[in-house]
Amino acid sequence: MLATPWVCRNCLLRAAKPAVRRGVRLQSTVATSESIPPALLARARTIAAEHQQLTEKLANGFDTRAAKKAGEYSRIVLALREWHKASESVAELTSLMHDPTTDPELRELASDDLGAIRTQLLNASQSLVTSLVPVHPFAHLPCLVEIRPGAGGSEAAIFAGDLLRMYQAFCNRNGFRSTLLKYENVNGTQEGGIPLSEAILEIDHESAYGFFRGEAGVHRVQRVPVTETKGRTHTSAASVHVLPSLQANSVAESDYDDPDSDYYVDPKEVRLEVMRASGAGGQHVNKTESAVRLTHMPTNTVVSMQDSRSQPKNKEKAWALLRSRIAQLRREKREEEMVAMRRSVVGVAKMGRGDKVRTYNYNQQRVTDHRSGATVHDLDDVMEGGQTLNKIMESVRSWLMEKDVEALIAEEGEAKR
Amino acid sequence: MPRLPTSLLREAYTIDRLLPALLGPCRDLRAARNELRWLREHVNTIAAARPARGGTLAKDALLRDLVRQRASGKPLQYILGTEYFGELEIMCRPGVLIPRQDTAASISHLVCSIRNAQSLPSELRVLDLCTGTGCIPLLFHHEFYSARDDIDLRILGVDVSDTSLNLAAHNLKRMRKDKSWAEKGAIGFMKADVLLNPFADQKGGRLPLKRAFETNKQLQSWDILISNPPYISPSAYWKTTTRSVRGFEPKLALVPPPHSTTADTERGDTFYQPLLHIARDVEAKIVLLEIADLEQALRVARMARELRIFDGIEIWRDQPEQTPDTTPSSTQGGFSILGQGNARSVLCWRGAVASWLGKPTPGISLDDDAHRLLKSHGNFTSSFHTNGLSI
Repeated sequence: MLATPWVCRNCLLRAAKPAVRRGVRLQSTVATSESIPPALLARARTIAAEHQQLTEKLANGFDTRAAKKAGEYSRIVLALREWHKASESVAELTSLMHDPTTDPELRELASDDLGAIRTQLLNASQSLVTSLVPVHPFAHLPCLVEIRPGAGGSEAAIFAGDLLRMYQAFCNRNGFRSTLLKYENVNGTQEGGIPLSEAILEIDHESAYGFFRGEAGVHRVQRVPVTETKGRTHTSAASVHVLPSLQANSVAESDYDDPDSDYYVDPKEVRLEVMRASGAGGQHVNKTESAVRLTHMPTNTVVSMQDSRSQPKNKEKAWALLRSRIAQLRREKREEEMVAMRRSVVGVAKMGRGDKVRTYNYNQQRVTDHRSGATVHDLDDVMEGGQTLNKIMESVRSWLMEKDVEALIAEEGEAKR
Repeated sequence: MPRLPTSLLREAYTIDRLLPALLGPCRDLRAARNELRWLREHVNTIAAARPARGGTLAKDALLRDLVRQRASGKPLQYILGTEYFGELEIMCRPGVLIPRQDTAASISHLVCSIRNAQSLPSELRVLDLCTGTGCIPLLFHHEFYSARDDIDLRILGVDVSDTSLNLAAHNLKRMRKDKSWAEKGAIGFMKADVLLNPFADQKGGRLPLKRAFETNKQLQSWDILISNPPYISPSAYWKTTTRSVRGFEPKLALVPPPHSTTADTERGDTFYQPLLHIARDVEAKIVLLEIADLEQALRVARMARELRIFDGIEIWRDQPEQTPDTTPSSTQGGFSILGQGNARSVLCWRGAVASWLGKPTPGISLDDDAHRLLKSHGNFTSSFHTNGLSI
């Protein structure tokens, strides 16, 4: 008869597949190499040269803008200097070891040192890369965390409430001041204990946006809901939006000289045209021509004024008008940016279970972040906003940083070409 | 002058019944609408002031009358009674030249470039010849003291016409009532004839400048000399000036007085030689002279160079503070030309004051400076006589 024993078809199929597949993450690559991409190194060097120029300029006279820039660059310059030192000592030690004339005792000492120096170089190169990554323009701002239930009905709403409590607890533990700007349950009232329909939490802490930026996205939950009667595991989702809170930053209208103000207009960017009576001018003509036209060249905003017979008065009025128009433009642009950001964070179509950033699995007591690939197993501590949540947020931040570094390298490569 | 198209007149009429009349002197709709608005505002302010004196006013009739006057070519400034000169509102009256915006631009630019200088003396003396409404001394004072107040500013305006001097005094009085007016320094006005040869016999009660300084117990040396003299030649007077200027403004302030021998262009330049000599006599360190066009600017600049007392000569256009973008060349005949528009004034400076203007200081000692002033005097009398200016 048949010599081969019967084998279950499922087992056969499984054997054909690669043995370990689920455990390997291809996406997250931790870039811990001691070599720095040459493009980044070149960038760091140009920045160092620029910093040198700025310091020379500052030695001759104070300039707020230059000082600010120099301060931003000094971090990079320091990191570069550190890196240079470490790489030089590594090169020296290696040459010493490969030199056949070296004393064997000395070679032993050198090989001992090399290990320590290597780690130093590793740290230096990492800090150089991180210092090169441009800080997110809104990273220093306080932020708004908006939580809404996604797919999954009332279970999703319950989970959204859990998330809100998680973030509140996290803020309390870490000393971030948070206020609940809006809380609405599924009944449309503000009563607690009923599944959540929308909540906005304001975290009024400097650089909160940089801290919570990675939380934005769809958070997926896998558990047996309290509403489930037959004990089945459901998968639901809640969306989290994180937006910088710009209201605190809005400036007074009279702040014309502050370059950060909406109302600031660089006089160099404005072309002034004065209407003059045609012809010879001077004593030959006595027509009153006081019209003034200002053109803001970057935005192509044109303001002309001819109300008064006095040209300086017209000029003054035109400037006021130009300032408010440009401020209006800037506000609109910023709002547009906010809308774009809101869309990019979580698109309306992307609210499903599939495009999740993180999974909370209650059956396995596990929380996995799908971007950084980090998995932690203390779910209760995460939901209480404890140290474990901090760990997972940390992993997301370093993942974001890696992404930024990749983008930076790509950008540098592009620029070179 | 091209005829105004009927379509334009009709368009103006649909906007306002009074507009077509104003199109005559204004030539374009935008300017005419502005002028009508200003006239209407003027009538409203008069009407608002009238009941206080116990009378009433027919506003429409007054406006119609003013528009009729304007249509005949009378300058708007004479009708409204004022003109803005920089930030100042200066009174204007028939018989005195209306202040021009271009002049204000040059004066403002000069004041702006010197007022922040570190090395200014504690007393700065400014002489304005052919002052007219007194607008230049007033604007100089206003602009200077709006930036700093640690310097004593002494300004003297000189004119040959009594009407002008009365108006200038009136303007000064009016400015002093203003709250923003800095009550510092001193402004004075004096009657003198710039063209009179100080060595000739006096006639007709007019005093030459030097004699006038003595009789009025005025200072003899001045740091800055500014002048907007009559500079239009007789032929340009008929060709380039507008009808409103010819018909209503005093010819005395526009065309230099006639004398026997000189040709047309030279008559336009009559004032500059005596002005430059006065600049040397009063030891002026900065001289700013208004001129008609680039040709005259070059002639005047050459004249100044021939004196051999100035270390730098520049030509300014209508808007000297603007960087030129379309101007063909920035130097001509060895003189750098600044700004945009028509050439408007000539600036000369000598000695250490170059640092006031932010220019490189010439390495010339005080003795050398005095020496060249003296040397320049040698050919002074001769040039005065050859020009035949002993009026």
